[in-house]
Amino acid sequence: MSNIVEAENLTKVYHRGREEIHALREVDFAVKKGEFVSIIGPSGSGKTALLNVLGCLDTPSGGSLRLNGIETSGLKEPDLVKLRRDNIGFVFQQFYLMPTLNARENIELPLLFSHKNGNMMKIDRILKMVGLADRGDHLPGQLSGGEMQRVAIGRALINDPKIILADEPTGNLDSATSQMIFELFEELNRQGITLVIVTHNMDLARKAHKMYTLRDGQIVGCEDMGQRSKMQ
Amino acid sequence: MNFPTLAAKNLIRRRGRTVLTVFGVAIAISVLFSLLALNSGYEKELNKEVNSMGVHILAVPKGCPYEAASLIIHGGVIPKYLSALDLDNVTRIPDVELATPMLMHQFLKKDEETGKSTPHIIYGIKMDEMLKLKPWWKVEGRFFDDNETNVMLVGGDLAEKENLSVGQVLPVGPDKEDFTIVGILERTGDQDDQFHFFPLVEAQRVFGKEGKITTIAVKVRDVSRISAVSAEMEKVPDIQVVTMTQIMGTIMNLAGSAKSLLLTVIVIALIISAFGIINTLLMSVNERTREFGMMKAIGASGSDIGKMVLMETVFITISGGVIGTLAALVGSSLIESFVKGLLPYSPAGSLISFSPELVAFTLAFSLVLGLVCGIYPAFISSRLSPMEAIRGGLE
Repeated sequence: MSNIVEAENLTKVYHRGREEIHALREVDFAVKKGEFVSIIGPSGSGKTALLNVLGCLDTPSGGSLRLNGIETSGLKEPDLVKLRRDNIGFVFQQFYLMPTLNARENIELPLLFSHKNGNMMKIDRILKMVGLADRGDHLPGQLSGGEMQRVAIGRALINDPKIILADEPTGNLDSATSQMIFELFEELNRQGITLVIVTHNMDLARKAHKMYTLRDGQIVGCEDMGQRSKMQ
Repeated sequence: MNFPTLAAKNLIRRRGRTVLTVFGVAIAISVLFSLLALNSGYEKELNKEVNSMGVHILAVPKGCPYEAASLIIHGGVIPKYLSALDLDNVTRIPDVELATPMLMHQFLKKDEETGKSTPHIIYGIKMDEMLKLKPWWKVEGRFFDDNETNVMLVGGDLAEKENLSVGQVLPVGPDKEDFTIVGILERTGDQDDQFHFFPLVEAQRVFGKEGKITTIAVKVRDVSRISAVSAEMEKVPDIQVVTMTQIMGTIMNLAGSAKSLLLTVIVIALIISAFGIINTLLMSVNERTREFGMMKAIGASGSDIGKMVLMETVFITISGGVIGTLAALVGSSLIESFVKGLLPYSPAGSLISFSPELVAFTLAFSLVLGLVCGIYPAFISSRLSPMEAIRGGLE
């Protein structure tokens, strides 16, 4: 199966005053189409930096990154916007829902930016998929944490992304709700969506096909969970 | 959902701040609208007032400054006089349809209860000629004949203020001669409402000014000949010529200085208001960096974000513009009385004149204000890199 993400020698250096922070050090990383990958590691290990670079939210300081066959280095902002819009869905730990928009409108928001708004049937289908068919008219303030993250996942799905990048998607949720969100991710993966999830939650990380471990900006481990389960 | 809905919902989220900003804009726009309305209204009323005199050119004694001409409209007294010879000279000029002599004099009327003296203006006029200049004059009672003695007409406002009625007798002049009110002029809406009118000869006799006149009012056969006639009149040695356009110009100049003061205040108010809007928006943009980062992550471009911020600004200023304009329409009488107190000369009618064009201009101005104020915050927010935006919110 072909790679949807191919990163070679990826580096990311932040500057804070005179101090240089090496968030990523020559990372080689690849994700196959349809794969479910988790990334674990202690705080400050570069997990989020890697996810942001993979999602073209941040530009790498060095190395190369191909997304769905497109070389991203040298792309201008409008091309990056299009690349993100057409290929990537983001899910954040803090959900980042618009408090004045109801669940349905929050899911619709990316369509406004891609100028495809008004597809009500699709929104209904996604609301149903994330288990919120009867909560569409509720504002974020009227929803539980798990429901808010479902809305955020619905919002990530609306533009038919090839890959979903999730940064600690269960970081603000209790374990039962986390479990449900992960089941939703597994269901999406079964439907063919590639997933890259950064998490602290080892139980959930182990549900992925592959689990990468990051430390000090380097990949220090990669477990093929499929192989592992076969071995057990 | 569309961008305007999104922008409106963003504003509703910060209700208190939005309302205060809109209020600030509304005040500035309301004052601006009132001043513009006043500007056109003032000129219109002044024009109407000058035209209602029915006079095209005034001849006054030489040396009398222009400003004195505006005194004449109000019945101010000039201590210089013209003679019957001057009148003859003016009458002989071709294209002069009518030249009528007038004597203006002032006397103090003492209020018996309060003991206060108020100045009253007396116009000595030739009634038959005056009625040719002012055919719209109507009277309760009757007009006097030019050869009658001890009779007077009284302006409508004056009669009401002083509680005067036809048949009443008033003591006038140094010898307190009794004059009978034979008629009260119906209101004309101009300064005539404030005066006493005597037959010219009687006014000259009572005040000891026999043969003297203060003004010659001239009506020209053809309005386009006004400047030619006034040039001819200039040749008469004793007189100085003032056309109504000049009087208007003088008054407009006087009013202009008061108006430029007002305009300065408004410009300052608008600048403060603009900085207020920009500050509010920048604050709001700073608070929302994470939100913008999220929007970029889910597919918004920089211009999408900028467009949204600009739209929010325009909503604020347009709402402020609409509220300000409505407030100015509703509160126009209040504003008018305030402004009348500030201006050196105010025509009698309503000064504020609203027109649809003016409303359109004010609203267009609000739009431009919004665009100008929104450009910088919109630019700032559109330039945020999504990662910096998300991180900026976290740090």
